[in-house]
Amino acid sequence: MPEPGRALAGVRVLDLTDAYGAYASRLLGDLGAEVLRIEGRVDPDPVWPAPTRDHIDFGERFVNAGKVVVQAESLTGDDLEALVGASDVVFEAAGRLESMGIDRARLKALNADLVRVTVSPLGEDEPQDGPVDDLLVLAAGGLMHLGGYRDLGPIGAWGGQSAMAASIFGAVAALVGLVSTESSFDVSAQESIAQALEDSVAEFALVGTVRDRRGELPREAGTGTFQCSDGYVSMVAGRLGTARAWSALVAWLTEAGTPGAEVLREGLWSDFHHRKTPAAIDAFTRIFEAFAATRSKEALYRDAQEREIALSPVNDIAAILADRQLRERGFFVEVADEDLGRVVFPGPPYRLSATPARAPRAARAGGGDAVAGFVRGEADG
Amino acid sequence: MGEGGTLAGIRVLDFCWIGAGALVTKALAELGADVIRVESRTRPDNLRVTPPFRPGTEGGLEASGYFASRNPGKRSFALNMRHPDARGIALDLAARCDIVTSNFRPGVMERWGMSYEEVRAVNEAIIYLVMPMQGSDGPHAGFIGFGSTIAALSGLVHLSGVPGRIPVGTGTHYPDHVPNPGHALVGLLAALLHRRRTGEGQLVELSQLESTVNVIGPAVLAVSAGVPVERSGDRMAGVVPRRAFATADGSWVVIACRTDEQRKALASALDIEMPADREEAAEAMVAEAVARLDCPSLLDSLHGAGVPAERVNSSRDILADRRLVERGFWYEVDHPVIGTMPMFRLPFRSEGGRTSTPSRPPLLGEHTWEVASSLLGMDRGDFDRLTEEGVLE
Repeated sequence: MPEPGRALAGVRVLDLTDAYGAYASRLLGDLGAEVLRIEGRVDPDPVWPAPTRDHIDFGERFVNAGKVVVQAESLTGDDLEALVGASDVVFEAAGRLESMGIDRARLKALNADLVRVTVSPLGEDEPQDGPVDDLLVLAAGGLMHLGGYRDLGPIGAWGGQSAMAASIFGAVAALVGLVSTESSFDVSAQESIAQALEDSVAEFALVGTVRDRRGELPREAGTGTFQCSDGYVSMVAGRLGTARAWSALVAWLTEAGTPGAEVLREGLWSDFHHRKTPAAIDAFTRIFEAFAATRSKEALYRDAQEREIALSPVNDIAAILADRQLRERGFFVEVADEDLGRVVFPGPPYRLSATPARAPRAARAGGGDAVAGFVRGEADG
Repeated sequence: MGEGGTLAGIRVLDFCWIGAGALVTKALAELGADVIRVESRTRPDNLRVTPPFRPGTEGGLEASGYFASRNPGKRSFALNMRHPDARGIALDLAARCDIVTSNFRPGVMERWGMSYEEVRAVNEAIIYLVMPMQGSDGPHAGFIGFGSTIAALSGLVHLSGVPGRIPVGTGTHYPDHVPNPGHALVGLLAALLHRRRTGEGQLVELSQLESTVNVIGPAVLAVSAGVPVERSGDRMAGVVPRRAFATADGSWVVIACRTDEQRKALASALDIEMPADREEAAEAMVAEAVARLDCPSLLDSLHGAGVPAERVNSSRDILADRRLVERGFWYEVDHPVIGTMPMFRLPFRSEGGRTSTPSRPPLLGEHTWEVASSLLGMDRGDFDRLTEEGVLE
């Protein structure tokens, strides 16, 4: 019987990924699995734009938290075979095991019950010559076509999202393997990003319209990003908003005596077809931004939520670190870091009542003892 | 429900609606679980009346391509939860399920008498997923939001765009489509594994904000260590060029060169001489050269020369993308109102190919009788009476 307390207690995970799959094993590790990462020759990291300090890569710090990291050159062929034999799950970059001398047949012979998950930018059959940049995958996956500026062109989402997406679905695939008889999965980051195309594919298929980036333009009167006294707020009070959001918004604007807001009480404004017209979007934006010009993000956030209007500040990272809700929930976790002294991690993305996830921990370097402990199933967790 | 999928035998009572929640149960259905979607005709899922609609099919609750795209493989059970007699039926169903899912604001399931504690009283091993915007407790627990406002709150929007311009984010409700359904699936499947091993069920809570902050985790670490992070318009140190360029035929192509070798190949393929030490001048030369070429021939010559480049796929392009087509990412369903339309699958193949092909998205209440009779053992007389009373719809 596994020890109580962690959903994945006793599960051993071998991590042979590049940046695309590294967060997958981090997720399983936080749920209780023992994760041993084998690091190969160091390629320049193709996904994280976060600046480095003293050569510290914050992306790498984040996705490898909690793992025991072993250098590939310190392993013998026997070590690797023993690690594979002892594992329940192997995550790998496409072709990595084969390049280390373990092909499919050998893999099956070493461990018939192993769940093998390949995580790669474009699928394991696509030839890959060196690291693949996240921006290429955001483009190939279609998300980039929907983002960016009208004049400047498409812009990618920040933060290696194709790698985050592929890793999340890599973890999903591994867990599907652990609860079923399927044992081999091939995750594509391109397809992971293509989960996020909203209604655009359906719109093309049914109407023939190719959805383009909207840029700064609000989608609809009441829905978009708007300027206020100290930055921007994001609001959804239109078609997809709650039933009462639009009328609550109009009441808010008129009660405040906002110049021009009375016109929004007219009947045609309650029809979203009208609110989607460029003239309506333009008129609404002028009225709302005049109202918001004397109000801060925080004041708008508080007052809008009181009126059940879905409005949020466009936070920078310092603001989210100071966010009252996250602080009161104890979300952020300080982790001791040998180079930085301390660093703050986001807590787990979910709360499991019976098997809570572990708080993030720093990665640690391992050698022969770590390999032997993993193989014997005696790692300290 | 898929035939013989990997989660065959798992039954889900699904109260999810709109975005993030519906994608969680879409995935479970594709993996072979029997997903029973509880829907109301009196207060239907907003997506059922949301465009796109095939011209000529508008009106009613069955024409939305948006709804269809995230609900294949599920069964629809029409039950008016506001009716006092609905709770007993919902609890009877929950007693026969492995998982209950919802993504309402905190308080809705409780108002219906379907809280975790109440469901657990009839099914001790239940796995119960909730997806509140900001968690079930704390001062902002009752706040409302959507994918785009959560992206703004989390910091993702602020970081996505060009310095000095309004932050554009992803142009979508991104958290609804990847981080939140994805993390929710990880939590659910971990809970399922735990139950297989111990028999114990549990409550899985996914705060959509906390889930989204995790996908920009590296920025949180950097800022906490005193290293500022700001939007950079796709620039990354050492990768030049790294951006989208417009082609002559109206497409966009991303070029991202990480090595001098790749930059030399790019210069040679475009027949330009890029200054090594002036990034912006080099980019301007690439932009000018690319603007004279059509996308297909440009990509042929760049790929032939070993230059990393990809088309910025539009919704039209991506349906024809060779890799996605060859990997079986798309499949078609035939819907009685919408006609044929493409559906997307989960982003992985297993050894035997794709896990299963889900059935077409359900009509509202299409499976009410089927579920009531086979699962609850209801007879026709009771079914007709409950329908007449407005409990079943």
